[in-house]
Parts: sequence; C-alpha cells; structure tokens
Amino acid sequence: MASSEGANVAVIMVGGPTKGTRFRPLSFNLAKPLFPLAGQPMVQHPILACKKIPNLAQIYLIGFYEERDFTLYVSAISNELKVPVRYLREEKPHGSAGGLYYFRDLLMEENPVNIFVMNCDVCCSFPLSDMLAAHLKYKGIGTLLVKKVSAESASEFGEIVADAETGELLHYAEKPETFVSEWINCGVYIFTPEIFLAIQGVASERNNHGTLRRVSSFEALHFTTKSTQADFVRLDQDILTPLAGKRKLYTYETQDFWEQIKTPGMSLKCSSLYLAQYRLTAPDLLAKGDKSNSAKFVGDVYVHPSAKIHHTAKVGPNVSISGSARIGPGVRLIGCIILDDVEIKENALISHSIVGWKSIVGRWARVQGVGDYTAKLGITILGEDVQVEDEVVVTNCIVLPHKTLNLSVHDEIIL
Amino acid sequence: MKALILVGGFGTRLRPLTLSLPKPLVDFANKPMILHQIEALKTIGVTEVVLAINYQPDVMLSCLQEFEASLGIKIVCSREYEPMGTAGPLALARDTLIDGSGDPFFVLNSDVISQYPLKQMMEFHKTHGGEASILVTKVDEPSKYGVVVMDELSGRVHRFVEKPQVFVGNKINAGMYLLNPEVLDRIEMRPTSIEKEVFPKIAQENKLFAMVMPGFWMDIGQPKDYLTGLKLYLESLRKTHPEKLMDGPNVLGNVLVDRSAQIGDRCLIGPDVCIGPDCIIETGVRLSRCTIMRGVKVKRHACILGSIIGWHSTVGQWARVENMTVFGEDVHLSDEMYSNGGVVLPHKQINTSILSPKILM
Repeated sequence: MASSEGANVAVIMVGGPTKGTRFRPLSFNLAKPLFPLAGQPMVQHPILACKKIPNLAQIYLIGFYEERDFTLYVSAISNELKVPVRYLREEKPHGSAGGLYYFRDLLMEENPVNIFVMNCDVCCSFPLSDMLAAHLKYKGIGTLLVKKVSAESASEFGEIVADAETGELLHYAEKPETFVSEWINCGVYIFTPEIFLAIQGVASERNNHGTLRRVSSFEALHFTTKSTQADFVRLDQDILTPLAGKRKLYTYETQDFWEQIKTPGMSLKCSSLYLAQYRLTAPDLLAKGDKSNSAKFVGDVYVHPSAKIHHTAKVGPNVSISGSARIGPGVRLIGCIILDDVEIKENALISHSIVGWKSIVGRWARVQGVGDYTAKLGITILGEDVQVEDEVVVTNCIVLPHKTLNLSVHDEIIL
Repeated sequence: MKALILVGGFGTRLRPLTLSLPKPLVDFANKPMILHQIEALKTIGVTEVVLAINYQPDVMLSCLQEFEASLGIKIVCSREYEPMGTAGPLALARDTLIDGSGDPFFVLNSDVISQYPLKQMMEFHKTHGGEASILVTKVDEPSKYGVVVMDELSGRVHRFVEKPQVFVGNKINAGMYLLNPEVLDRIEMRPTSIEKEVFPKIAQENKLFAMVMPGFWMDIGQPKDYLTGLKLYLESLRKTHPEKLMDGPNVLGNVLVDRSAQIGDRCLIGPDVCIGPDCIIETGVRLSRCTIMRGVKVKRHACILGSIIGWHSTVGQWARVENMTVFGEDVHLSDEMYSNGGVVLPHKQINTSILSPKILM
C-alpha cells in the first residue's frame, strides 16, 4: 500500500438551521450536529474517525449555522485532538458541492493530496484508512463509500451501480422513483483536488445553457431562486451523476452499520450503534459498574463522569447519560438518552425515550416509547425543562419545552 | 396608584404563537395583549405597573421600554426564579406595591381581556370598606372553574369552591383584584395560591367582597378562547368606538383592520375578523371569525374560517383554512391546499392538505 506523503484534509458538511424542522423539539436550542450520541456530539464521531487519516493537516466543518453556535465546540475539540478544527460558515447554502468549491482556497491551503468529505448526519464506522488504501489504488478523482441495503429502503438514498471487478462507479441516481440498485451512497467520500475542476465545469456549463433537472414540485415552489442559482451545486446529482461511468469515480464497500440521523428517533438508534462500537474502539468509555457503590449496568452504557447514579438503579442496555444528571434510587433506564442536568426521581422507569436538558421525572413515573425509531410517534421525547409528575405515564409522546405533565398521556404531541 | 400584572411563564397553551414571542406581546386586536391592560391602568391613574414574570426573554424588555415612553407610565419587571404561584409574586413585589400612601393596588391576570371596569372597582372598594375586592363573572358552566360563593346584595364573599360537583353558584373569579396593602402581610415569600390560601382567610374575616363583572370577560390563554374573546371585544368596540371598525359592502358584522393592510376587491370579510398591519388580502378572499397577524399574505380566492394565521405567513390561492387552524410565524400553505384544524409550528412549508386536526412540527 502506497503511503501518502502529502497532507490530507477532511471536511464535514454540517448543514444549517433552515434545512430541517425534523429534529424538533431537540433542535430548538441546540444545533443538530452538537446533539450527543453515545455521550459525544454527533459531529464528534466523524471528527474522531479522522484521526485514522495519516498526515491530517486540518479538519473543516462547513455549514450555514451561526458561527457562534460552533465557536466553543471547535476550540475545545481542536485542543483535545491536537488537530486544528475550523468551522466555515456559508452565508447562503451553495449545495453540498458548491460549499466545497466556495471554500476551495482554504481547503487547498496545505496542498492536500486527498480531501475527505463526510456528511455530519451519517452514522457509521467511517473506515477511512481502508477506504484511503482503495482510493490510492484506483487513482481516480473520487472514491465513494457504498453499502448494500434492502431494495425497499434503497430508494430513500442515492443508488449506485458499480463494476464488480474494477470497483468503478458506473451509474448514480439520487432517490429514484423506480428501482435502480440495492447499493447506496453512504455520504463519505475521498476526492483529489481535481474535484474542484469538475465542480467548476458544472457551474460554468450552467451559465452557458439551461440544464434539464428533475425537480419535485415542492422544490419548484420553494426554491425558485435556487434552481436558477448557478453556484448551487449538489454533489450527488450535479457531480457524481454526470461523472459516473467515465473512469473517474470508484467505490469502496462497507458492511458495517450505516444509518442517517434525520430525526430524534434515529438519533436514539444511532446512539446505541455507537455505544456498541465503543466495545472495539473505546472500551473505557463504557460503564463498568465494578466499584462497590456502583449501580447495576446491563449492556452498553455511557455515563458522563459528572453524572450521579444511585447504586440501587439499574441502567441499560443502550443508555447514554450526560453531564450533571442525577439518577435516583431504584430507577430503571432502558434504551434512552438522558441529557444534561436531568433529575430522575426514585423508582421511575425510562425506556426508549430522550429526556431533555434540565427535565425532572417524578417518582414512580414511567416515560416510555414503543421503540419504533422511524415512526412519527415511536419513542417519547421530552424537550428542555419538562416536568413529569409522580406516577404519571408518558407513552410515545413528543413534549415541547417547559411543560409540566400531571396526567398520563399517550401518542400525542404536547405543545 | 400601583398595579401588578401576573404574567407567569412560557405561555405554552398559546403555542405555536408563543414560540415566536412571549405571551404578553402576542397581539390581540392588533395590540400586544399586555398593552390592553396597561392602557386601562394608565387611564384610571396608575403610575407604576409591576410585571410578575418567571421567564424573561430580552424581547420583552425592549418592548416595555417603548410602552413606558409612549404611555408615560413606569413599568418594572419582577422576576420569579422559581414558580411562586398566584400570590407569591405579590410578596416578591412588596416594596414596589407598598409606597406608604395606604392606597390599594390592582392585581390583574395577563391572560384576561375584558372591559376593565377599574373605576367601578375602586368605587365598590371604597363603599364596602373591606380589605380586598375581587371581580367575578357569571358563567354557564361553573363547575369547570373555581366558584365564588357570595352574598348577592352586599357582595360579601362566603367561600371559594374549586370545581364544584353540585351547583353552589355561577360566579367565578375573573382574575382582577383590588387589594389593600395589609393583604401583603398575609402572604409569605413562598409558592402560594391566592385563591386557595389567601382569599379564603380574608373571606373568613368577612373582609373580602366580590363585584359582578359588567361587560365582557375572557381568558384568552388558548387559541379557541382567543377567538371567542376577539368576538366579545369587537362587540364591545362597536358600542364604544364604532369608528374604529371597518364598514362597507364587503364587510359583515364587526371587523377590525389596521390602516396599513390592503384588501382586494370582491372579498367578503367578517364577522369577527381582525387584520393586522402590512397584511395583503387579495381579490376574492373570504375571512370569517379569524385573526390575521402582521405581514400575512392571503392569496386570491382563499377562504379562512375560525382560525389564527401567525405573523408573516402565507395562505395560497384557493386554499381553505378552518376549524381552529393555528399557523405560527412564517408558515406557508401552498395553493389549493386545505387545513382542517392544523396546528403548525413556525417556519414551515405545507404542501399537502391537513385533513384532520393535527400538529405539524
């Protein structure tokens, strides 16, 4: 395997606030990329994966959140990792490829040989060093991480067709209406600097003649300005699709877990996936319960060092507890995320739920979900500062911030 | 004279409107809710108003400064850091409310819209000479509320009964009080309920009197009651200031329209409609029993009944909106779509019809 002598650079696309209301109510006060999965901010998982990249010069986060949303995080993680991490803000969305092109001068500052690009809302093992080895062998301008999924679920993503022998990307279709392939684009890429020429080519071709683009009527209604904006370039439809089959793009398969984190329900599922991955990559992060006054831990559990758990509580599997949380005597926690400063009082039970910052769950209360991560109301989500009074049962509900529940509720959104 | 307005917390019952503005600043009849009360207090000579809040977004402060300047009345915030109930805030604001003059002070509930018969309350209070006066209003279904059992002639209050199972009376607490400074001596600095702890004691000593509310009264803390309150308010406006209402061939019943709003031809507006500043109502629109907040655009041929459309939203051509639909700020309903009781959070685009009442996050 040839080692790369030159520098490498990584880019994580983090998106922005106007793009989705799907992460409400958790997104009211916190940028989605900073929401914790398995005890670490969502964006931290791809960032930590970048440690596998040799000669990594810089990590960039590109998005259109306010700068101040990321200032503290970025300086903290830079210090911890000893690799510079910078947040670059687009004043207006340029599309996933347009954003890369817009900041190309910065990205090329260290003359990188390879540019790693990842979507922040992808949950996977980020096999970057193996992917790099394959990329260097292929000698194309880009390598995509791909995975085989079920035929039904494939249509939610970008479907790809690859040559089984050479690994070349032959065909790309984004969210096709009819079946194209069971292989999907995972949203993790390695490019060479030639990608910028490809993006520029698309943008200038746009200026010369109109492109026939399949556009949903929703897009047509809402994005009338964007569709004519020459510098709005999407990686998938505008770059990968035309370049497929031209011996420039290649694929690398992963058989590990892969999910997209679009909704709070999925964040609960992905938190469990990352907790399971800690067994291999960071076993010290998982709670062991070996001290005499420890609570009982079952399966994968993450507990922030400042959280306090009574020794009669039973926690897990698949539980993540954030800083300053207090778990009282006799509490049972299953498949849940407990955010900062939460108090769970005696003998309460929380299962398949997300309990928002500073919330309080009363004694013998039960906060539960059916555990369907993709349904609209399949888990319970308590927003910030929600109080569930003693003995109240909350099932499959979404509760907005600052509410007090003194009666049992189920299958409801509570404003 | 001084007054205290109980503003309380996050206004969650009035979501999604209160996701954009704190409840006191949500517009009612084209005026921030709290301004209705502050103006009424100013009119009878109150010089200083304390707002008891336990959630203080900075938005409130800058608006309050504007009100202070334009009305010439002092407005102070008293912030509870833990919920103090309905009486605790009074203890918290003690130093402002007691100014040594011995004058009684008003306590109003910020969710209540009414005719504010404050002058009559003052006369009533002087006449009976008791320690506290409360305003009560007659309702059809008293068992939903706390009933005030009183002597019909003198107004002396015997007792309070919370949600009575049998009929004990049909007057409920209207959330407006006039209290002598001594009342504050009865309130400890802890979460306290004025109805459950303070008033019953004063009633026992035969010093609490109730005056029956003349005129309309409504607790507008939730969307359904907000619209009912608007109807009552506009009826009252018809009697007191009919020139403020809109008239014309396109108007039915009581309709209030801000001067800067534009209304196209062949519309039919009313009854009980309020249209805010900078709204654009295009040709052929039907509006009935609804509130259209500032900056909303209602496109041609649309029909909006019994709903609230939040600031800067859009209702598309031929769209039909009805049955207690509430749009938060910046919600856009596509052409030809139907919303039957949709409750939509801010910053959303709706491209499919909402066939039965539901919340869109």
